Amino acid sequence: MILEARGLTKRYGDFVALDGVSFAVAAGEFVSIIGPNGAGKSTLINLLTGVATPTAGTVRFKEREVTGIGSVALTRLGMARSFQLVQIFPELTVLETLEAAVVSRLGRGTRMWASLAGDRAVRDAAGEVAELFRLADKRHALARTLPQGDKKLLDVASAFALSPEIILLDEPTSGVSTADKHAIMEILVAAARRIGLQAIIQVEHDMDIVFGYSRRIIALHQGRVLADATPEAIKANSQVVDTMIGRARHPAAP
Amino acid sequence: MRGRLVLAGAALALLTAPLVVPTYQILLLLPFMAYAVVLLGLNLLFGYTGLVSFGHALFIGIGAYAGAVLTTHLGIRHLEAILLVSAVAGGIVAALVGLLCVRYVKIYFGMLTLAFGMVFYTFLLKFYRLTGGDEGMRVLRPLLLGQEFSDFGKTAYLAGPYYYYCLAVLALAALGMWRIVRSPFGLCLRTIRDNPLKAEALGVSVTRYRWYAFVISGVYGAVGGALLGPPTGNVDPTLAYWTHSGNVVFMTLLGGFSHFWGPVLGAFVFIYLQDLVMSVVPYWRLVFGAILAFLVIVAPGGLMGLFTRWTAPAADAPRA
Amino acid sequence: MSGIFHAAILFLVAAGLQVVFGVQRIFNLACGSFYALGAYVGVWAVSAFVQAGGPPPLFLVPLAAAGLLVGLVGWVVERGLLRFVYGRDETFQLLLTFALVLILEDAIRLTWGAAPQSTSGLYLTYGQVRLAGATIPVYNLIVIAASVAIALGIGWLLTRTAFGRIIRATADNREMAEALGVNMGRVYAKVFTLGTALGTLGGALVIPATAAMSEMGIELIVEAFAVVVIGGLGSMRGAFVGALVVGVLRAAAIALYPELEMILIYLIVIAVLVFRPRGLFGAAVA
Repeated sequence: MILEARGLTKRYGDFVALDGVSFAVAAGEFVSIIGPNGAGKSTLINLLTGVATPTAGTVRFKEREVTGIGSVALTRLGMARSFQLVQIFPELTVLETLEAAVVSRLGRGTRMWASLAGDRAVRDAAGEVAELFRLADKRHALARTLPQGDKKLLDVASAFALSPEIILLDEPTSGVSTADKHAIMEILVAAARRIGLQAIIQVEHDMDIVFGYSRRIIALHQGRVLADATPEAIKANSQVVDTMIGRARHPAAP
Repeated sequence: MRGRLVLAGAALALLTAPLVVPTYQILLLLPFMAYAVVLLGLNLLFGYTGLVSFGHALFIGIGAYAGAVLTTHLGIRHLEAILLVSAVAGGIVAALVGLLCVRYVKIYFGMLTLAFGMVFYTFLLKFYRLTGGDEGMRVLRPLLLGQEFSDFGKTAYLAGPYYYYCLAVLALAALGMWRIVRSPFGLCLRTIRDNPLKAEALGVSVTRYRWYAFVISGVYGAVGGALLGPPTGNVDPTLAYWTHSGNVVFMTLLGGFSHFWGPVLGAFVFIYLQDLVMSVVPYWRLVFGAILAFLVIVAPGGLMGLFTRWTAPAADAPRA
Repeated sequence: MSGIFHAAILFLVAAGLQVVFGVQRIFNLACGSFYALGAYVGVWAVSAFVQAGGPPPLFLVPLAAAGLLVGLVGWVVERGLLRFVYGRDETFQLLLTFALVLILEDAIRLTWGAAPQSTSGLYLTYGQVRLAGATIPVYNLIVIAASVAIALGIGWLLTRTAFGRIIRATADNREMAEALGVNMGRVYAKVFTLGTALGTLGGALVIPATAAMSEMGIELIVEAFAVVVIGGLGSMRGAFVGALVVGVLRAAAIALYPELEMILIYLIVIAVLVFRPRGLFGAAVA
């Protein structure tokens, strides 16, 4: 098991955002987490990636107890994430953003005397990721000048540049046009294969994307796991479908 | 390319100045160079890491008083020793103070640094038996590389050997900061400045790196402060007062915090303009306050911001 | 006892700081400079009054009036300068108030010169009183009473008037208040003027007890800063309690161990910022 959640609970005063969520993700899995707004999806991602600490329950990463060690430590251990509200470095170029991730991965962040420009390993690795994510021709553009779709790609690309073993994507295609959504997913899958990613967990609202790419779906509702099964089983589960009403769209009939 | 020409020109001008420029102007270049060193350090914190310190005068004071204590009370007059002690003292204090301060951001960081600066100021003022109180402490003429220059009068010493010594220190300090800023570490600092949340998601320990930047800026601040003492021969508590901290932040903004050389330019313009205004009317603060207001409202990129706006589309933050 | 007098004055200035910070989220470094301005104008007003033949016992009238009227400078400053930096990074707002500190410092020096100005002799016009073994000028008691009255008045303003409600709403949630139709520009102008007037009044009222001096502004702001940190940024109650704490502690330190004086206060500030950043009554810090 690469990532395990055991009885994860998060309370904000009286409000229970997550209530006893448990599941385990093994190597090779592509898991989608779905649920209506307020179901606790982002809270779950925050707990798994160490941005927030659970009120109860534990997180295990690579068979190690990692609850509460924080996002920096988790990143060092091989976990990466992207954000629902796109997070970039406005005044850094695309290449610099990717280089920052590589620098962090190679543990060269405290090199105060070496020249970044002269570090071939960093530059080449960053350039490779840029190619994978089709951002190579924009590599010297300032992140804040990029169109929204490219910013999203950059957010995800920089997470990939960490060469993580598992990546958690919080709505990787939100705010992007339908045509671009599939493009992004294709890039994602190809990149995952290229860097040897072991597992992907994504929070997604678009059911076409969910059914099209993931092989396991965890449905959350009001902080609890409603269902945890294959796409076929989920489709057949009327309770899940009803809960997701308005969001669930069956792929167009042939 | 043009930038390098300008830099070379400035370096040449500074090197030959004592031969052609009147002594009075040369003496003005001494505090300029001292502040330039301080500001190079301050901008690592401000422009590259995004932290605004309102207590940097703490380090200037530490460096200045280190020089005074060493020369008057301990009989050590080698400037190399003074600079070393200042750097170490500044580094240690920055390490300790920084541990507390870097966990906070924006206004709380500013307030904490201001408080620390004022603690030091009050100590310098009140413990007069140790520090000389509001009259301050004398700084004796330091030995440069072991040389006394005893046949040089005070002005000849300051406008000659001491000038070149300071220029060398500034050059070394700038070289050091240039390397730091263009290193992988410098890149990490900029990620922290731009988006601490994302920086952490990339594995950059935000608090720890801010602390590193704080310590480096403290060392630079103290070294610059040490250079301020010898020209006047006296250091006093006002060097650590909060308005002095405000002034150095002002200088940084004036020159432009988005450019490596911006703060150095800011120090130059501040010193010279202050002298110019004072020769006409003693109310330099009135003029400078108006300039600062103008800068904040109209031209937050400072002088370098204005230059680059004319020549190229501006990047709003240092790009190393 | 003089500690409580000092606390009363400090409260006025700190209250001015708090109301501006609470609503506009700006820490006004120039608050101390307005205090100084109030002091200088106060001296001038009283001297003019006495010279024009006004009866000395009534000197409080021109003094307080001057202190309040000078507060209108706040309106000019807000409309003419401050409003251009709303919505900008708080660093720049802070630096703009620092620009004001510089400008006001020299403006005062330009107008009144560098020598201290005082209303010599008027301090004891109302006589003295023996209280708890100490001799206290009645003037002090008047100012303390006035300060308490103003504190109550501010409390009433905030809780019982429409304007007060608008202030509290805006302090709580600016976007919501704006969405509900509150005219931010006007609110900000009024709030800043109120804050300034509190500062200038404090400066004017301190005048009989001490002389107006050129450093009084930049010295007082660090004390006021200590008050609002200890009391909690944005809180009126915090200004009141914080002022008491700082005023009394400072007086005690001066009496017992003069070297300590402000060092003790700053160390407390640091401790508060580290262990309880929101101070006694402030809102929770992110």
